[in-house]
Amino acid sequence: MEDWTGILRLDTEVRSGKTVARNVYFQGAYKVMRPIYHDESGQVCYYILNPGGGYLDGDSYKMQITLDKQAQLTLTTQSATKIYKTPHTLAYQETVMDLKEGSYLEYIPDPIIGYRDARYKQKTNIHMEKGAALFYSDIITPGWSPSGERFSYNTLQLINEIYMDNELAVYDHVKLNPATKNMDGLGQMEGFSHLGSLIVIGEKTDSNLIDKVYQAIHKDSTEFKIGLSELPIPGFTLRVLANSTQTIEKIVADCQRIINEEWLNKTPSFLRKY
Amino acid sequence: MGDNILSLFQLCDSSFPTGAFSHSYGLESYIQEDRVHDQASFLQWLDVYLNEQLIYSDGLASRLVYEALEENNLQKVWKLDCMLTVQNLPRETREGTQRIGERMLKLVESLYDVPVFLEYRERINKKLSFGHPAIVFTMIGHHLGVTKSTTTLYYLYSTISTLVQNAVRAIPLGQTAGQKTIQQFQVPLAKATEKIQSLDEDDFGIVSPGLELSQMKHERVNIRIFMS
Repeated sequence: MEDWTGILRLDTEVRSGKTVARNVYFQGAYKVMRPIYHDESGQVCYYILNPGGGYLDGDSYKMQITLDKQAQLTLTTQSATKIYKTPHTLAYQETVMDLKEGSYLEYIPDPIIGYRDARYKQKTNIHMEKGAALFYSDIITPGWSPSGERFSYNTLQLINEIYMDNELAVYDHVKLNPATKNMDGLGQMEGFSHLGSLIVIGEKTDSNLIDKVYQAIHKDSTEFKIGLSELPIPGFTLRVLANSTQTIEKIVADCQRIINEEWLNKTPSFLRKY
Repeated sequence: MGDNILSLFQLCDSSFPTGAFSHSYGLESYIQEDRVHDQASFLQWLDVYLNEQLIYSDGLASRLVYEALEENNLQKVWKLDCMLTVQNLPRETREGTQRIGERMLKLVESLYDVPVFLEYRERINKKLSFGHPAIVFTMIGHHLGVTKSTTTLYYLYSTISTLVQNAVRAIPLGQTAGQKTIQQFQVPLAKATEKIQSLDEDDFGIVSPGLELSQMKHERVNIRIFMS
């Protein structure tokens, strides 16, 4: 595919204790804002924008992010990724991220919202070197529908492949397909509308950390349900079923706070957007 | 062919000691929440487990492994062993399946003299591969000359019938209800096998959120009769 609707390339490295961009390139319907340093740690934060306002029929996006040794980057979006009706060709996004030794990436985008008859596929490949750390989250939500239908999108599909030193270590494939499935049924969304996922990878993960995260976010509640599990490499994954973006964002923020305190010895900043 | 079918039957028997009887793959979480409590609700769970998880993982892998064995493409087999394991995000089901795979391999190694088993064993010992029952089972089916779709069908059958036995103990269901469930599942199993033949490789590893979450939740269940 050569005709991308939007292309974004961001290469980061450390210069005198601060993570800076060695190269920023964007074209079409992708844009990044000026870097922001929320604290004194040198960790940089970039906001991605979609000036087009949403993904339409046949749109395709490509993102390439690299973190050089020791680089620390927070990547987020300025607003939700809205997927509109795709009558002919699904909307597609491809992301490749490279994390060199000792680097840390926080990827915390706003939710993906699937509107009526939307079809969307997202492929994310993350290549990590030993000693790199990752905090990855995503949220899938249904868009408001005039008919009051809870799930009016056709398909939202997210595939994550994470490689550690070139070996596949995590393969995460979610495909929500209300067009052919009963989403409220047993085993599916089970009465919830939003799905949040979190993948955290880092050599410092142990069962104490996972227990700590679980204690912090676990609650007997009808508002959400969580599942937390250790990965085959040091790290864990979290799934959240809920009925609002805020509920999931709060859980993700709680996890982020613990990881930042434990691994970076700092408290994360609130990502102001509005 | 008749003799070979019996040979594959041996692996489908719930008394074939792979340890599968100690795994519920998240069913126990549903039982504890009282969402699965009788034959009807169990059938619902079993249907989702088969059609929303098993066919995209073990089922599709079985077909792809068989095709790879026909092309003598072992690299592809080892790749599928890795993918089957790393797509299984809930730790208990991942590690449990791995143990079942290893035990099944050990057993069939003592029953059959097939070089590919030796290679699989060596890769597992060197931690190059994980071990997975769908792969071991498919290797046997291929070795015995049983067709691709029959091998997949029998694999699915063996998984489902073990789960029914587990449900009979755990819910509990009567033995008759258990047998009725297995009988009612003959058509769904045939349909699932048919669907697997038409799946795309890109469909590999699709999970249903609720099922996966219940498998993850099981790790935090205090009183349990199953290991997953």
